[in-house]
Amino acid sequence: MLEQLLIFTRGGLILWTCKELGNALRGSPIDTLIRSCLLEERSGAASYNYDTPGASYTLKWTFHNELGLVFVAVYQRILHLLYVDDLLSMIKQEFSAIYDPKRTSYDDFNDIFQQLKKEAEARAEEMKKSKQVGKPVNNNLGRKQGQVQNGSVDGGSKKKSGGESGNDGGDVDKSRGRPLENGNLRNNHVGKGEAPTMINANGKENGASKTGAFDVNKLQKLRSKAAKKTETVVNKVPKEEPKKKITKKNRVWDDSPKESKLDFTDPVSENGEQNISVVAADEGESMMDKEEIISSDSESEEEETEKDSNVDSKKKGWFSSMFQSIAGKANLEKSDLEPALKALKDRLMTKNVAEEIAEKLCESVAASLEGKRLASFTRISSTVQAAMEEALVRILTPRRSIDILRDVHAAKEQGKPYVVVFVGVNGVGKSTNLAKVAYWLLQHNVNVMMAACDTFRSGAVEQLRTHARRLQIPIFEKGYEKDPAIVAKEAIQEASRNGSDVVLVDTAGRMQDNEPLMRALSKLIYVNSPDLVLFVGEALVGNDAVDQLSKFNQKLGDLSPSPDPRLIDGILLTKFDTIDDKVGAALSMVYISGAPVMFVGCGQSYTDLKKLNVKSIVKTLLK
Amino acid sequence: MDKEKIGELKIQLQQLLNEAQEFVQRIPPLQLYAAIGVVVFTIFLLLVIRLFKRRSANTILLTGLSGSGKTVLFYQLRDGSFHQGTVTSMEPNEGTFILNSETSKKGKINPVHIVDVPGHSRLRPKLDEFLSQAAGIVFVVDAVEFLPNVRAASEYLYDILTKASVVKKKIPLLLLCNKVDKVTAHTKDFIRRQLEKEIDKLRASRTALSSADVTNEYTLGLPGEAFVFSQCHNKVTVAEASGLTSDISQLEQFIREYVKA
Repeated sequence: MLEQLLIFTRGGLILWTCKELGNALRGSPIDTLIRSCLLEERSGAASYNYDTPGASYTLKWTFHNELGLVFVAVYQRILHLLYVDDLLSMIKQEFSAIYDPKRTSYDDFNDIFQQLKKEAEARAEEMKKSKQVGKPVNNNLGRKQGQVQNGSVDGGSKKKSGGESGNDGGDVDKSRGRPLENGNLRNNHVGKGEAPTMINANGKENGASKTGAFDVNKLQKLRSKAAKKTETVVNKVPKEEPKKKITKKNRVWDDSPKESKLDFTDPVSENGEQNISVVAADEGESMMDKEEIISSDSESEEEETEKDSNVDSKKKGWFSSMFQSIAGKANLEKSDLEPALKALKDRLMTKNVAEEIAEKLCESVAASLEGKRLASFTRISSTVQAAMEEALVRILTPRRSIDILRDVHAAKEQGKPYVVVFVGVNGVGKSTNLAKVAYWLLQHNVNVMMAACDTFRSGAVEQLRTHARRLQIPIFEKGYEKDPAIVAKEAIQEASRNGSDVVLVDTAGRMQDNEPLMRALSKLIYVNSPDLVLFVGEALVGNDAVDQLSKFNQKLGDLSPSPDPRLIDGILLTKFDTIDDKVGAALSMVYISGAPVMFVGCGQSYTDLKKLNVKSIVKTLLK
Repeated sequence: MDKEKIGELKIQLQQLLNEAQEFVQRIPPLQLYAAIGVVVFTIFLLLVIRLFKRRSANTILLTGLSGSGKTVLFYQLRDGSFHQGTVTSMEPNEGTFILNSETSKKGKINPVHIVDVPGHSRLRPKLDEFLSQAAGIVFVVDAVEFLPNVRAASEYLYDILTKASVVKKKIPLLLLCNKVDKVTAHTKDFIRRQLEKEIDKLRASRTALSSADVTNEYTLGLPGEAFVFSQCHNKVTVAEASGLTSDISQLEQFIREYVKA
């Protein structure tokens, strides 16, 4: 049954709640919904899951954009109420009829609500009966596609509340929690809109095929057992490849010169400091501190491009849209918004925004514009453009402060070093940008220390050593083939001993699918509890950005032994100078992870480190 | 060819000028002067009215962190009750009305324009839209959950106090400690001192950045001394309120001080 149904304005005032369903909600699901979903431009998703100790709810919502109202229904996650969507839309219709901006109490709505609820339930019953024929085939197909479907099938088998199959499924749900190989797509507050949509879609498809339910549950358990077995096998795989001990004999060619000295390296000792004198790097002011010159926005530019896209559409469409814009009384329908949104989505994708991010964004903008009245003398495309621009600015504006210097000072007061861990896939520029960040911090009179926890790649430690020498800062290294977590721990202890304020920890690059390496990374983070986990991503990445970030976050969450795992706190965007105006990777990364972009690397020398300029990125994306 | 055309045009212009001169000379001088005088007078009036409109900013802004109670206060000011509760605002609440406590007063009262700006960090840019018309800013602080949020609150307050429009126009700021009806609420002096300390630290870290810091255009306080609110160019006062129990008299006082009844 429904736990609660709320109607509130976009400004925050609750207009009506159902008095009958008076159960107090545990936690604050509505506020969390607003903060993590609606304000994060995920309002195109079908539902939102909220977990709190003692309860787990699913929330569904709908907007009335013209009047600025939001309708939210809350119910227990284990129930799968079919009639909620229906009920919400009916309530929306009825309420808009009696809504008055001056009124603040709507007690007469109680009776209407009761009626509507009964109607909706009755209709849902009928639909269920007609779908009793069921489609068990769908179950099988769905399962092969991945873990998300498992959740849906499970949910599908518990149609009505109560019943043993429901409880059974509930247990399986909880036990399935951690051990699955790819990790259960836990819907935490960072919000992954894909999972709930798929869960609900399949839940509806499966209907109440109770005959199929038992088979599914059994198969469920078998599958989880199988997954447990493979997981233990995987654990035994050694984490790092051992270096080859057997040296090769040199091949002798017939007409080759006598084998004299082929090794041309300098006769320096391992600790090369005595032989090379290095001038401390001083390349001027880091670009972090320089003001960015933003060219003034010329509105005519935007209008020109708009006109081009308008000309592309059919002449008839242009004429009618012109007419509508002058008349200005049309209520926006989804079909009206579609061409404009499609054009916007294509434009975003040409700017290297990941495809599913562009899709979700467009859905969210559509959800916020549907039913709105067009102001006179505005075109649909310009309204859509304005809404999209506002949404983009909202996403790219950081949710929390990105003032690292302030955090460093705070940590300094507490007497601990501030630890930053750089993670990312191979070859994105972690070591290079680590040196840039060190240079910038040095310019602000902060004592920096580097920790070489990339013990895998040949030359990684030497690379950092060279940077440390040039910047004249201490470096903590233990050579190769050591456990990075232990190296990091000792580095932090060393830092507190020698009075360094910041420790920058470099890690080896790893693919997001590589289970043992991700486990090692989450162990490093768990053991050392850094202050900032910085994901380094390159701006050249395309659709893979979504996969990288979501898998990184997910693995860090699932594989961490602690109950409150640390996730990615910030993003460092690199190789920004190589993309001209295809800046979409920034948007994809911020959208999928919710973490702000703290630095932007725009070159390969020490001064090439900038802050992200939200307005210029939005302008470039929509140009 | 061109020269001929120019010549023709010149001749035509001269003819027109002659005609105009004759026409003007025919009008009795009194009427002419009267007409000119009326035109000049109306232009003058319009300018004066425009100047007056710009000066009288009668907007009070309610800002603060998300969850500090701004929307409740807004509805208390407007209706005297917060109805069935509030959730996190996604949009600003605007209204021009007579304060609820003053509806019983007789006579003509100047309505106040109050704007409740959402406190969520993603919606911060909305504040700038309203700052240009602000006559006063109320920074609402949750007195109960103060210490966990003190850094975020002080950063927001620092950003507001160093905005160009606030410094130049010397917009007065009221630091309102909300939710004082709860037992565990901190006192306003404690809150003021904590915020001063935090802003002092922020001053040090923000001015450590080079002179071309885009966001903060001004610095606060005097160098070498600990920061206190009295060092600000604009007037900063502290008051207490409780949204839930309708205890908002100090807030209304502040509003009436700057938007005359």
